[in-house]
Amino acid sequence: MPINKTFPNECPACGSALRVTTLSCASCDTTIGGSFELPALSKLPAEDFQFVLDFIKCSGSLKIMAQQMGLSYPTVRNRLDEVISKIVAIEKQSGKKST
Amino acid sequence: MKKWLWTPFVYVAGKKALVLGWLVMGVTACLSFFSRTHFDGVLDVHVGMSRPLPLYFLEQFISWSSAVLLFYLVGRVSSDSSIRSIDVAGTLALSRWPMIFVSLISFGFPHNLDIRHIDPVWVLLSLLEVAFVVWMVALMYNAFTVSCNLKGGKATRVFILALMLSEILSKILFYLIYKPVL
Repeated sequence: MPINKTFPNECPACGSALRVTTLSCASCDTTIGGSFELPALSKLPAEDFQFVLDFIKCSGSLKIMAQQMGLSYPTVRNRLDEVISKIVAIEKQSGKKST
Repeated sequence: MKKWLWTPFVYVAGKKALVLGWLVMGVTACLSFFSRTHFDGVLDVHVGMSRPLPLYFLEQFISWSSAVLLFYLVGRVSSDSSIRSIDVAGTLALSRWPMIFVSLISFGFPHNLDIRHIDPVWVLLSLLEVAFVVWMVALMYNAFTVSCNLKGGKATRVFILALMLSEILSKILFYLIYKPVL
């Protein structure tokens, strides 16, 4: 039975942001080592990331999104605003670390 | 069920809420005509004098539109979100639905109310009406926080300010309307 793994976006020990140190090719087994910053979207919690994906699938229409979720337009817009502020915070944090 | 009683705006807003709210306000106006209930202010309820039916509709309209105008303006100033006037108008219209019960409760008051002979039943009915007004205010708060995307202490402070200003505006408008009648 396949295990449904969730993507870890923060350190389980101290809660800090994680970095990618190893990348490997599934077909030829080539492994690349280094230290790569994760994209801002992948640092979002799973449910927020799913919200962003659903929003894109709805062509960025809050109206369609609200219909699909069975929620009112302002509720979905407020949720989007929340995700935007999280992305801005992540970007700010990444900017601070890189400088 | 609890969510539908306190925060129905999570599910309904915009045009849908506006149509439902206007329907509710229309029913309330008709009922209040027969029970002689006056909604002469955003938060006001008074039982007494009989007036022509259109005045009861006007009372509903002024109470609602005063709140919409002030809540929208205050929301635009204090919220970072791109708020829509249709959401403010719709959710505030729907938040007046407990007033239907107030109109119904008012049937319990006698035709000739004499303030010098207060009946314990009248006190009970008045307290019941106050409870429904409190329910309406709670719904208005939720309508405001959802449609203007405000939270916490800021939402409470701004809500109180908008509520007070809208009450003052509605009172001025009612004074101007009732002045020629008095």
